[in-house]
Amino acid sequence: MKIVVAVKLVPDANAEKRIDSETKRLVRTGVETVLNPFDEYAIEGALQLKERLAAAPGSAEPATVTVFSMAPESAREVLRKALAMGADDAVLLTDAGLQGSDVWATAYAVAAALKKVGFDLVVTGGLADDGNTGGVPGALAEYLGVPGLTNARAIEVADGKLKVQRETDTGYQVVTGPMPALVSVTMAIGEPRYASLKGIMGAKKKTITTISLAELGLDRAVGSDGAKTEVRELAAPPVRGKGRIVEASDGAQGAQVIFDYLKEKKLV
Amino acid sequence: MKNVIVFVEHSGGQTRKVTFELATQARRLADALGGEARAVVLGAGAQALVEQLKAYPLDVIAYAEDPDVDTFLLDPAVDYLVAVAQSAGPSVVLLPNTMLGRDLAGRLTARLGAAMAGDVTGIEVDGGSVACVSPKLGGKVVTTCAFKNADYGVVTIRPNSFTATAGGTGARTAQIEKPAGKSYAMVVERNVEEASSELGLEEAPVVIAGGRGMGGPEPFTSLLKPLANAFGGAVGASRAAADAGWVPYGLQIGQTGKTVSPQLYIGVGISGAIQHKVGMQTAGTIVAVNKDGTVPMGDFADLLVVGDLFTIVPELTKLVERAKAQA
Repeated sequence: MKIVVAVKLVPDANAEKRIDSETKRLVRTGVETVLNPFDEYAIEGALQLKERLAAAPGSAEPATVTVFSMAPESAREVLRKALAMGADDAVLLTDAGLQGSDVWATAYAVAAALKKVGFDLVVTGGLADDGNTGGVPGALAEYLGVPGLTNARAIEVADGKLKVQRETDTGYQVVTGPMPALVSVTMAIGEPRYASLKGIMGAKKKTITTISLAELGLDRAVGSDGAKTEVRELAAPPVRGKGRIVEASDGAQGAQVIFDYLKEKKLV
Repeated sequence: MKNVIVFVEHSGGQTRKVTFELATQARRLADALGGEARAVVLGAGAQALVEQLKAYPLDVIAYAEDPDVDTFLLDPAVDYLVAVAQSAGPSVVLLPNTMLGRDLAGRLTARLGAAMAGDVTGIEVDGGSVACVSPKLGGKVVTTCAFKNADYGVVTIRPNSFTATAGGTGARTAQIEKPAGKSYAMVVERNVEEASSELGLEEAPVVIAGGRGMGGPEPFTSLLKPLANAFGGAVGASRAAADAGWVPYGLQIGQTGKTVSPQLYIGVGISGAIQHKVGMQTAGTIVAVNKDGTVPMGDFADLLVVGDLFTIVPELTKLVERAKAQA
């Protein structure tokens, strides 16, 4: 069984960011690119599934985990981290012509690449930390023409069928579907593992294959030409200033300070 | 793009509050684009919700009381929405930025070849074209994104970003015909309710969030829940509390959790690290209770009270309850 984890690279959320006042673009120098935190859970979910399948009695061919990303060539370093966690190999879709792709263009190009790579199961994170849109998993499932079981907190494969616990706002649903399929995961799938020293050493020998845009033979434009949205403006958010800090002498007084403040704000 | 379509999210026989915010925006956008505002309500209980929706300024309320919508995951809902969108012609589809809204939005983006904007907090129509405002990169930048090269736009809207304004305009109701020749493979075998189906965290006007300082799962129910109830709000948590297993991940606010934008946020025993801040910094008013006066929360909270949360919270609950009783 071939599991492909589709991951995104994002600017490190913990780094300071600023906007260039002239170009209105994000200043990227000094901002480290990292694996989208949600996608680390996708890798974890895929590795857990691989391990469970290997341990299952009478399992046929072993499962493999391939990490896939659409990113600049410089992403190799970040993909090594996924390989060090335990993925078997990696595929990088990289091309200058992909720059400026939006949700639609990304899903369209990535789906074509994933079809080329081949898969039984595609695993993704639920959201990207930078755009916070969450549209790509569903759009990918559509373009791949496979069931998309989203927001999974547990994944099981038995008799070629997929069974997931799908998180909802009030609990979860048990959902089944045929494979091949796409699954997106939530954090409840399990804390992403750290790469072991052995894993880090081993990752250096694993292969990262690249695919270019031309190899996909797309019949629609992607990148900024094909994208259906364009950023017209980037602005800094309104700044939240430091407010009041009050030491409470006891519970009743502390509560009264809050209550009076809320009253003043007409919130009670 | 001319018409505006609103996806109505509902559960337990109740329309989610965010739907009314969407309906209000749909009216404004449809007027600016010279089209109609249409709502789509699907699944068990759909027909009963039509009356509720009539209180909002919609032109058409389309419904399908089809059990398939609940029996099969997403696909039937996507088919209905696509059918409505195609019959409406070039249009903007508004969905809530919730787990379900995002899932449907992604699917619709591919099916309609649409421009998609997510987690939107403002929409503008300029010379017939639509542009969406959304915070990105954990709220560090605010982007304005214009649609181009597309007949359809798909927009997920952050709950509590817009005010809902009631006022019916005599909407027509229409039953949506079941899309023909479809078979569905993703089966919902069962639904397990873990939290009571109260107001969603993202939509609550008041959020009371607890962190590491709560010390365990019990104070979330014994301390925070009564305070949230007194305000008619919801309980949330920091990542530390969710990771410790004190609350389900569904309650987590922040970078890898939910983004909330309530009128009032009260953070209890939460330091306010960047991971949490990105999920609540657009709240109207931020109040924090912490035993440590040097926590990061102090840099952006409107009020930080330094003291013992275990005595302050119950006292505050009493004060709020008393005020409510007198009102």
